[in-house]
Amino acid sequence: MKIEIIDSAVCLPVVKHKLCLEPWRRETKQWNIAHAIVAPSDGLVAVDNTEANNQMARLMKTWRGKISGLAVANPWYGKRAVKILRKAFDDGLAGLYIHPACQGFKLCASIINPLIEVCREYDRPVYSHTGTPVCAMPFQLAELARRFPSVTFVMGHAGYSDFSGYDMIPAAKQAPNIMIETSCTVGSLVQAAINEIGPERVLFGSGYPRSLPGYEFAKFKSLKLDPSVSALVMRENAVRLWKLRL
Amino acid sequence: METPPMKIIDAHTHFPGYTFGCTPKSGQQLRREFEKEGIAGAWIMTTDGLLNNPARHNDLLAEGVRAQRDFFIPFCTVSPHDNLDDSLREMERCARELKMRGLKLHPWLQAFSMTHPNVVPILRKAGELEMPVLFHDGTPPYSAPLQIAYAAEQVPQTTIILGHSGLDDLWEEAVIACQRHPNIYLCLQGPSAGYIREIIRRCPIEKLLFGSDGGFMPDITRTAIVKLQCSGAAHRVLNRIFFENPRRLLPLGRHGG
Repeated sequence: MKIEIIDSAVCLPVVKHKLCLEPWRRETKQWNIAHAIVAPSDGLVAVDNTEANNQMARLMKTWRGKISGLAVANPWYGKRAVKILRKAFDDGLAGLYIHPACQGFKLCASIINPLIEVCREYDRPVYSHTGTPVCAMPFQLAELARRFPSVTFVMGHAGYSDFSGYDMIPAAKQAPNIMIETSCTVGSLVQAAINEIGPERVLFGSGYPRSLPGYEFAKFKSLKLDPSVSALVMRENAVRLWKLRL
Repeated sequence: METPPMKIIDAHTHFPGYTFGCTPKSGQQLRREFEKEGIAGAWIMTTDGLLNNPARHNDLLAEGVRAQRDFFIPFCTVSPHDNLDDSLREMERCARELKMRGLKLHPWLQAFSMTHPNVVPILRKAGELEMPVLFHDGTPPYSAPLQIAYAAEQVPQTTIILGHSGLDDLWEEAVIACQRHPNIYLCLQGPSAGYIREIIRRCPIEKLLFGSDGGFMPDITRTAIVKLQCSGAAHRVLNRIFFENPRRLLPLGRHGG
């Protein structure tokens, strides 16, 4: 049976200050992607958070059932960021997207705590970009995840480049509330994550536009996963995590 | 009409030793594995020699691929921390006696800064010996593309290859370095597929090489080929990256043993 795939890692390009879904849709035409979890990018992540969240809420209405949007709130905005995030969750956004390198903070710094508390209150997951040294490393995510054990954190791009092979699995083992998103990294490390932390904690992502769906699907095809494992990674874990009603 | 399969020269492979969880293999075994993936020739570098006793591992690599010199082009290594005269002599020995044709440096594993006073003389010597220098790059604190470009600028006669095109965090710096410095080339091993597409769009095609890091991890060769193919580049562009550019820089079999 063909699995209707859920892509948990798409960043929408920004053109003339607008989030654009179309380039990704064109890219994925040939793939059986039923639903995508999408985040904003560029200045909309770093600075114009309210604008990003409003655009995302509109896209979700337009593409109902096809996409779930993630909210952004730069922690340096302090109380304003908390307000921005609450409003986004009230508008139905599915989780918080953080990008420490783009937003200018270290993943385990306390400045992010108030936003994670909002996620805990609303029972929403946190997707974090990881893999960038100094500010977005897997062990920093593990530290944050241990601080908030009731919140689920997604290790975006599995710590790729240089943290996939060394830190990704040991960090995920430190905190059971971490899930690993598989884009960008290599197939053997996805297999290792499935083997060592369990298929129920691994999520498929295309990583678009940083990575490309053609490559990500070829990578999974080469793993020859058991159908039950494939169903978890490509769909069921995401349905559970993002509370999708499809 | 179906496009014929492309010839591939892999400009970034490793001779597996005992470090990084690798399993040592013979040159013949490794060649068989690479050929199975469609590779027609490979530039090959030590793994263990980046951590200890470079001269011994230069010997082991040369010996390991001695019977496969129509397929492998071996690169030597030296440590910039060692006595400079010894390093320069070792490079000459590798070029003349072992017929090694390139130099591999790994500032992260070998723990040296690109501003170390021995780096530029070593690079200059590589230029004199017509050895392209392939660097590990993309990882702070020692292997950022612009750190490597700082030294590359001082040795315009030496071909410098950024072995990972800056990886995912520093690929834009790698592009800048490639655009600014005529002697800097990029090996497309490491960046994600979307970034590879951008690198191909922004850089002179004749300065791009395919590399896989093969020998270092189980499925890495196939992964790297598929990733480059997925970039959407035209067949003629891929042919230059996969085959023509590395062949132009280092023709196979010229110093075959």
